Amino acid sequence: MPKLTIDGKAVEAAKGATLLEAAQQLGVYIPRYCYHPKLSVSGNCRMCLVEVEKTSKLVTACSTEAAEGMSVRTDSEKVKAARRDVLEFLLINHPLDCPICDQAGECGLQDYYMEYSLKKSRFPQGDKVTRQKRRALGPHLVLDNERCVLCTRCVRFCSEVTKTSELEVMERADHSFIDLKEGKSLDNDYSLNIADLCPVGAWTSRDFRFKSRVWFLKKTPTVCLGCATGCLIEAHHNENTVYRLVPRPNAETNTWLCDRGRMTYKAVQAGDRLAKGVIKNGLIDLEPALREAATRIDEQHAAAAVLGSPWLSIEDNAALARLAAEALKTENFCFDFSAEQGIKDGILVNKDPAPNTAGAGLVKAACGGLSLEEFSRRIADKRIKVVITEARAAAFIKDALKASGARLIVFAVNRAEIPPEAYATLPYASYFETPGTFVNYQGLKRRAEPAVEAKEGVKPLWAVVNKLAVYSGTSLRLDSAEDALKGINFR
Amino acid sequence: MISVKKVNNKPLNLLERIYLWEIGRGLLVTMRHFFVNLFNPKGTVTVQYPEQMIPLAGNARLRTRHRLKVRADGSPKCVACFMCQTACPAYCIRIEAAEYPDNGVEKYPAVFDIDLSRCVMCGMCVEACPEDAIAMDTAEIPGGVETRQALLLTKESLLRNLPGEPSVTGAANRLANDYLRARGEE
Repeated sequence: MPKLTIDGKAVEAAKGATLLEAAQQLGVYIPRYCYHPKLSVSGNCRMCLVEVEKTSKLVTACSTEAAEGMSVRTDSEKVKAARRDVLEFLLINHPLDCPICDQAGECGLQDYYMEYSLKKSRFPQGDKVTRQKRRALGPHLVLDNERCVLCTRCVRFCSEVTKTSELEVMERADHSFIDLKEGKSLDNDYSLNIADLCPVGAWTSRDFRFKSRVWFLKKTPTVCLGCATGCLIEAHHNENTVYRLVPRPNAETNTWLCDRGRMTYKAVQAGDRLAKGVIKNGLIDLEPALREAATRIDEQHAAAAVLGSPWLSIEDNAALARLAAEALKTENFCFDFSAEQGIKDGILVNKDPAPNTAGAGLVKAACGGLSLEEFSRRIADKRIKVVITEARAAAFIKDALKASGARLIVFAVNRAEIPPEAYATLPYASYFETPGTFVNYQGLKRRAEPAVEAKEGVKPLWAVVNKLAVYSGTSLRLDSAEDALKGINFR
Repeated sequence: MISVKKVNNKPLNLLERIYLWEIGRGLLVTMRHFFVNLFNPKGTVTVQYPEQMIPLAGNARLRTRHRLKVRADGSPKCVACFMCQTACPAYCIRIEAAEYPDNGVEKYPAVFDIDLSRCVMCGMCVEACPEDAIAMDTAEIPGGVETRQALLLTKESLLRNLPGEPSVTGAANRLANDYLRARGEE
């Protein structure tokens, strides 16, 4: 455990920690382009130069190990001059096309220039070296070599994290540029992380391209519901539209986010978003749809059943459990979902595509209910004639439904989710519009926070369940998602 | 110190105190102006805005209706960078960006609306524009319309060049100039 001083403040760094990490521990920020905590050290951008006592030259903080008795200065005139000069080098051939660059507003060059340089350019526009401008590489990214500062974060990400090694620095010295290796295409499942990693506007996302300026975006911390991994994410949104999802790096689950997870926001704004109920194939207002569904349930009161869903939050599953226990007064309910869980590709993607299998398990532990086999058997035996469930969970009982022809009433967010067997469909607000608690494969509770507001008339699932119960003659008295948890004893 | 001026008002005489006579005298003045202007309208000082306008003095500091400048090939100089929308204190600008497939400038405004009923004519958009694409030098004073809709300037109604434009000299945008040059050679 070496003890050293940084800017006159003493700090005890971990063994093997670099000066940059030791400074971070103290809260001293050292500017950097090529350094990334989850990638190998490259030390090529020279932005993190600091002065160490008794050394002849400035050293790079990201690649120098902290040693006993070091005295480091990050605020001396020498360091400030070095930062100014490094920035001048990096900006020599920069095209200054910020007006058409999506990175503007969160750009390392802009931020550091304002913070550390503010120096007028000594190089006329006409003398700048020009390079290839926009070029679509892969399904998700655009590369602009002119804006690149050759920090090689993208190259290291592809070789170290995804281990697909699509990218390489071509040519040498002043001629260097980032390019695809021959015969490769940039289509790994994590390629959009490169757009986040890139400290400048060289890599930008094709999906987010020109959609919004980043300074308009508001940020809501939430959780990715793409699979059971439950990565922490941040939804960036403005004026009730989600524009992109970015990872919230954390020690427990994720630093990155897969491309499929990043695209999950699209369903919220998709054209097939349900705002009304569907009976068979016809759209119908929510109230008549609820009445129709309630009538069908009442017809078969004793033979109605509720199936929870691993795609729904704990609160909404609990609301379904209470619908079964208090409104339908049936024992035909099931929250028994088992799926093989674990990281599939060694990075983030889980074997279990549902986000809340573990959470549904908690509801099962508290409320009991049938096993999934027993539930299916009862449908097949025609002891269950009406099933209420969430659209994607209906796939678990597909065969039994086909065999018996039981009526299926589902809750769905998008039209594409509705299974063909569904008799009635009721819309509910997605988890970008309403809060919910999810339990990921590690057993960690993750909270989805609403980023945008649901369309008028679209209510959270617990509220739809509440109304459905009222139409069939019982009040569950649910006024919020938390109300659903009342009376359920979680261990 | 507040200065005080003493006014010696004459006391009103009998006719003035009766009031009616003085009202009649006042109405006569009004009627005289009415008939004079009716039969000899050249002498009136009122301008029938918006049908008539007084020509404005050419003044660099004058801020009038906005326009978007046009490049030599007819495309807008605007690259939809949203600087004007960001700077606008009245939130009257709405832009939707789109991408050129061929033009090296990459970005252009698919929608560019200025809601003049909200605009405060402050000129911040002109100051903020990094491309010198928006200007307030048309010498037209907006307003005087019958519907609110008529105060919404769309991209089509904003795109216009003044005589002598587009001037190729002094254009700073390398990408746009490259593109125009390439098109000229074709």
